[in-house]
Amino acid sequence: MSAPRRVLVPAAAAGAAIASLAALALLAGASPLDALRALASGSAGSRAALGETLLRSTGLVLTAAGACLALRTGVLNIGLEGQFLAGAAAAAAVGPALAGIPLLARAAMLLAAAAAGALWVLPAAVLAAKRNVPEVLSTILLNLIAATAVSGLVRGALRDPVGDYPQSRALPDAVRLAPLFGGGRATAAVLLAFLAAALLAVLLSATPLGLKLRAVGLAPAASRAIGLPEARLKLLAFAGSGALAGLAGGLEVLAVTGRLYDPFSAGTGYAGLAAALLGQAQPVPSALAGLFFAALGAGSSAMQRDTGVPAAVASLVPGILVLAVLAARARAGRSAP
Amino acid sequence: MSGFLAVTILLAAPLLLAAVGELLLERAGSIQIGVEGTMLLGAFAAFAASQKGAGPHAALGAAILTGLLAGAAFALFAVAGRADPVLVGTAWNLVGYGATAFGYRLIAGATGSVLEIASLPPVFLGLPVAVFLAFLAPVVLELFLARTRPGLAVTAAGENPLALDALGGSVVAVRSAASLAAGALAGAGGAVLVLTVSPAFVEGVTAGRGFLALALVVFARWKPLRLVPGALLIGGATALAYRLQAGGATRIPYAVFLALPGILALFALAIARGRGGAPRALGTPAP
Repeated sequence: MSAPRRVLVPAAAAGAAIASLAALALLAGASPLDALRALASGSAGSRAALGETLLRSTGLVLTAAGACLALRTGVLNIGLEGQFLAGAAAAAAVGPALAGIPLLARAAMLLAAAAAGALWVLPAAVLAAKRNVPEVLSTILLNLIAATAVSGLVRGALRDPVGDYPQSRALPDAVRLAPLFGGGRATAAVLLAFLAAALLAVLLSATPLGLKLRAVGLAPAASRAIGLPEARLKLLAFAGSGALAGLAGGLEVLAVTGRLYDPFSAGTGYAGLAAALLGQAQPVPSALAGLFFAALGAGSSAMQRDTGVPAAVASLVPGILVLAVLAARARAGRSAP
Repeated sequence: MSGFLAVTILLAAPLLLAAVGELLLERAGSIQIGVEGTMLLGAFAAFAASQKGAGPHAALGAAILTGLLAGAAFALFAVAGRADPVLVGTAWNLVGYGATAFGYRLIAGATGSVLEIASLPPVFLGLPVAVFLAFLAPVVLELFLARTRPGLAVTAAGENPLALDALGGSVVAVRSAASLAAGALAGAGGAVLVLTVSPAFVEGVTAGRGFLALALVVFARWKPLRLVPGALLIGGATALAYRLQAGGATRIPYAVFLALPGILALFALAIARGRGGAPRALGTPAP
């Protein structure tokens, strides 16, 4: 990415976000200035608000990293949502059973979550490789199946025998992560998420494996011609992106909810994919886009409470931004020689 | 079992409407992953029109108009603008979900109460006209594609857009027209859902039906008439899940039945041998 574009894209995205938020506030009969002020203070105006933004960013940053790995390798994994749910379910199943030894429980939860995420994407990877089934369709269906599986698990195998709600057993406080700073709910999970994004950036840009993965994504025919194991590299991208999304689901249980319930995800996987598209499939810009979406999510509740502008802007604005970026990129691609 | 059959047909109709539109668009060489978003917009438009005093048929009309606009937006970005259709569709789902949740909050306010709306009146077997029209749609599309000149242009745009372009046809125009029709049909599908099955709107009311419609097109191997058995199969599985849920105890785990439509569609994909029968230029930009 050239230097002017590195500055221009985020600036244009921020401008478009503010413009669409102002328009939506007007549509809801509120003052745009009041709405933006409420949004800003609800996302970064206090320790509690900042903690909320960081808390929400964990899942978005990790699923965005998963989307980057897949997109850069030429894999359209639309199933991050399902892999997130698989990871959450695995963590919720393992955690309470090992509650006596907190450190072991945490490690097992994260390991199980990453493994479950990677396994959940496997049918799509195999169908794509062996039967030429477009992964776009199979991963979407795996999302549907994951959502219904969670719904069944919290009413069946994982149901908490105590209490009336269909939800899994609560994780003891000794296992759950402690807040990172006083007055906010954010935990060390957010650091883990950003670390993963940074490591992925290094992997993709500065290692031989990263070069091979990018080659398969950019020029599949040329990669095959020089003898790169395309099938194995794509499988690795599928599994890696699934593991990152699964880890996001596991951390959601470990750091935020402490248990599984239904419906568990409010579209984290889809929003993470949108963050990766906004970040042009670059891990660090995508992580920042995820942080921005998290701020929108945290601030929009305060905005709805104070000004009556519906909190749904938190999913509407990312959608609008991604459409704008896709249109701009297609236009730039056509005008290039 | 007539009750079960009627519910199956009723549940198949929205899927069929959306899938017929998607099949037309894919035969023209584009693909809209955001059917779910357009169905939601259609469902919300029907709900909003009903809330403003429109009758059920006018509400259906409002949904079709909204779907047309959604189809126009997709054509603008993914056909004329030549952005990657899969990524546009992914964003479109966010827009559809966010916009309808936003609009619903403005109409329903903070009360959170369910606002019921009038259903489409039944004409035969307790089912409304729109449901029967949904089953007619695949037949009409089959005849259109096989017997008419515009139908031939659609096939050309999907199979060999360069040839269509060389002959002086416009691939962008053909695909845009298909996108408008696909949007209108998906909007109608969402409306039929809230005007029959659940006479109210809730956030995410389509519950993944747009995604199932996508899978149905592959299951049908891009042949309109083959959509009917697939839609009935998924409609039947959903009806069975409802029945088991209402019946309470069953030895088969509840989750299996909830997941049945998705699992069936996934198997269908595996059996249909992937892209076997897919338009050759599916998902490629217009020349």
